[in-house]
Amino acid sequence: MALQHLEFSYEGTPGATIPMEWFHSGVVGSGDMEVLLTRREQQGKVTVKVCTPVRGFDQVWDKVLARFVQESGCGDLELEINDNNATPFIVSLRLKQALQEARGGEPA
Amino acid sequence: MSYGNGQKMSFLEANARQRANWLVDEGSFTELLGPQDRMTSPHLPALGEAVSFDDGVVTGVGRIGTRPVFVISQEGRFIGGAVGEVHGAKMVGIFRLALDAYKAAAEKHPDDLDAYRPAVVISFETGGVRLHEANAGLLAHAEVMDMIQDTKGKLPVISLIGSKVGCFGGMGFVAAATDAIIMSPLGRLGLTGPEVIEQEMGKEEFDASDKSLVSRTTGGKHKYIMQDCNILVEDTIMGFRRALCDLLAQPYEKVCACRRIGSYQLVKEQMDLVALAVELNPGDAKDVWRYYGNEHPEQLPELETAEFLRVVHRRPKEVR
Repeated sequence: MALQHLEFSYEGTPGATIPMEWFHSGVVGSGDMEVLLTRREQQGKVTVKVCTPVRGFDQVWDKVLARFVQESGCGDLELEINDNNATPFIVSLRLKQALQEARGGEPA
Repeated sequence: MSYGNGQKMSFLEANARQRANWLVDEGSFTELLGPQDRMTSPHLPALGEAVSFDDGVVTGVGRIGTRPVFVISQEGRFIGGAVGEVHGAKMVGIFRLALDAYKAAAEKHPDDLDAYRPAVVISFETGGVRLHEANAGLLAHAEVMDMIQDTKGKLPVISLIGSKVGCFGGMGFVAAATDAIIMSPLGRLGLTGPEVIEQEMGKEEFDASDKSLVSRTTGGKHKYIMQDCNILVEDTIMGFRRALCDLLAQPYEKVCACRRIGSYQLVKEQMDLVALAVELNPGDAKDVWRYYGNEHPEQLPELETAEFLRVVHRRPKEVR
């Protein structure tokens, strides 16, 4: 019943962080999520905290997040996600949008 | 999206944070207790419900011209914008800051207060109390009501209603208690929401799936005709911002004159209206529109906002 708290860590690209201290994106709607990106100097590592009502999807989160870190080439970041039943596709999309907005681009 | 492009965006489609940022002057908005403060609901985790870093409401302060504007912007996509403990406390906090700012402005600019008088602006998108934390939510409603009474005679409180969820439940009362209400035709305002009426009274009484029925009973156009809403605008951020700027440019007494309740005269007006409703026994909002001189009431829902405003006949302040 209680909310799930999951934590992950990935080897990212050193220095490939965001230009500001922190950046927020997204709304915790039904089937959606928000993410708070925080700049962290941690030898390129990307650490992720996920808070979700859904159980049993730890491996799916791991795969989606690992792919995001690899494809985006980001690093030195902490991601905090509040999820409300977002699908893996939505999670990927929201993370990409957040990083793009943080780096000054228009959302995809 | 840039501020300029944001102005053209649909108010309905924008999220709460975009609305808050784009309603005040460019670059002037500072969010208070924003996502980086991670002030989430203490009650939802125990129920296994998702939490949000802002608890479904964006609060902060910006400027319109020379005046500080304190903004409360609810996010309907998070639990229908329902008011829980943190959400409500953030609303109350904004009122406290606005009252402090009023005190400071009154001391600093005693001769020119109208130019520096703070304002509170609430963009409603809510069904009222969040049932998961209902006691705290109800208390928050009462506290916000108290704060609104404390602002009387000091600073204007303006409601903006143009969101998808609309403004229902206890927050319908709160909106009614504010000094002025600005709506778009897509905004909806009421106490008991359409689904609840249907659930309690049956589909024959009120069919909540009939969108045009819901719109002509709770929608901005109907509320404008009935004088429950003061200003009707197009569904753009710019539409709301312009109306807000124009209203705030008026002397404070003019804004207070927009109130729909809160004096003997206004209560009498409402009572006369109830008596008239009993006498007319209208079967539909269209009957009422016709009574007030709209010869083709069936055409009103279809009209563009500008055209609607040009041709519509509103209820006169004198009920009969």
